[in-house]
Amino acid sequence: MAARPRSSNDEAREALRDAMARLAAGDQAALEEIYRATRVKLYGICLRILGDQKEAEDALQDVYINLWQRADRYDPTRASPIAWLAAFARNRAIDRLRTGKVRGGAVPIEEAAPLPDETPLADMLLVDAQQAAQIHKCLGALDARTQGHIRAAFFEGYTYAQLAEAADVPLGTMKSWIRRGLQRLRACLEASETA
Amino acid sequence: MSAPEDTGLEDTGPDDSVIRDDPMIAAEWALGLLEGGELLAARGKAATDPAFAGRKQWWDDWFVPLTDAIPGAEPGPQVWDGIAARIAVQQAAASPTFDDAPISNVVALQTQVRRWQWVAGLTSAAAAVALALFVFAPGRSPVDAPPQIASAAPMVATVPIGETGLRLDVTYIPESEQMLVAAIGLTPDGVHDHELWLVPADGTALQSLGVVAPGEVRSMVLPEAVTAKLGDRASLVLTREPIGGKPEGADAGPVVAKGVFSPV
Repeated sequence: MAARPRSSNDEAREALRDAMARLAAGDQAALEEIYRATRVKLYGICLRILGDQKEAEDALQDVYINLWQRADRYDPTRASPIAWLAAFARNRAIDRLRTGKVRGGAVPIEEAAPLPDETPLADMLLVDAQQAAQIHKCLGALDARTQGHIRAAFFEGYTYAQLAEAADVPLGTMKSWIRRGLQRLRACLEASETA
Repeated sequence: MSAPEDTGLEDTGPDDSVIRDDPMIAAEWALGLLEGGELLAARGKAATDPAFAGRKQWWDDWFVPLTDAIPGAEPGPQVWDGIAARIAVQQAAASPTFDDAPISNVVALQTQVRRWQWVAGLTSAAAAVALALFVFAPGRSPVDAPPQIASAAPMVATVPIGETGLRLDVTYIPESEQMLVAAIGLTPDGVHDHELWLVPADGTALQSLGVVAPGEVRSMVLPEAVTAKLGDRASLVLTREPIGGKPEGADAGPVVAKGVFSPV
């Protein structure tokens, strides 16, 4: 990581890490900085999962209010702040999808999966972790069908039932496919950790 | 996606060759597949089981770079205004007694609110109203102001049962008014039931949350009278009662365990 030339993304990430530390120390102004730096990415995630502008904006508000309330939960020695925030935002969006009020699945599954590689916004802060390449590699090692279902679950927030219905297979079959895929994914990722 | 291809029959049977252990459940959770009681149970477990929480985190860390493929989007300007307004309200509610609060803080807050007032919308109006209430009620002590949490933050309480190592895991999801009580590992003794009670932080009367079902994970939707009292720092007590719970008109039995709610 240290050997890489510093890009503007590196600098943005450093500034974000600093703002997160200040927020944890009680500096409220840091929240606005964090919001400015991350809203585009986090809103994109909420919008993708929830498929509804109003819901996504509500979810986004919740993310930052929660961050402000519990800034101490972020451990600066562990994850990169944008990775942590992105996972947090996606988890909140999924929670919102699962606790009822949102219909979700706004995009028909046939159009949504498999996901084409999209060009991210030029000025959007990226996770860009070293593990990005590894997860793509391990996912790519799965058969196309399983990979498609796992991607659809991740990107569209589909449940087992929705995936089974879309693929026109029994629920148990879908569960079995995905669990076997997750098991292989785990083995591949763990192997990369010890390598 | 095309119709499922027949790519090897050995791959299509709904068998149980994959063991659904905790790491697998953590993976399903991270992917977003869990729902209903399973989702609540996973959340409750993560709050009290570091290994499980760590495994969920492990999957989150691996999956999160995938989000770079999701195009960014610009939220409306009212999102930040809403965040700022909600924070101002919570700060007002949580600040120490009026005497201790430097007057400059209040002035700063008023300035902030004035800044937001030009933004049309309920959130800023609500912030202004809340501020007005705060400013004109200087006698209010901080305990009167219920600590507020973001609407979707789940609350978790762990109720350890004596020295047994057993415990109740109670998870509450404010948005759905659903509470999940996991009493896994507990076994009925045949003579007693245990009844769970909410002890509101504001000192008002205890509210029964019903008899605990030993060995089960049970979810319930709470009535508004109960959810209104269920904020941060509300606590729980477990009492030992005759089978069926506390008899009408009788005093509650002895308290055998306690726990406190806190946001996850």
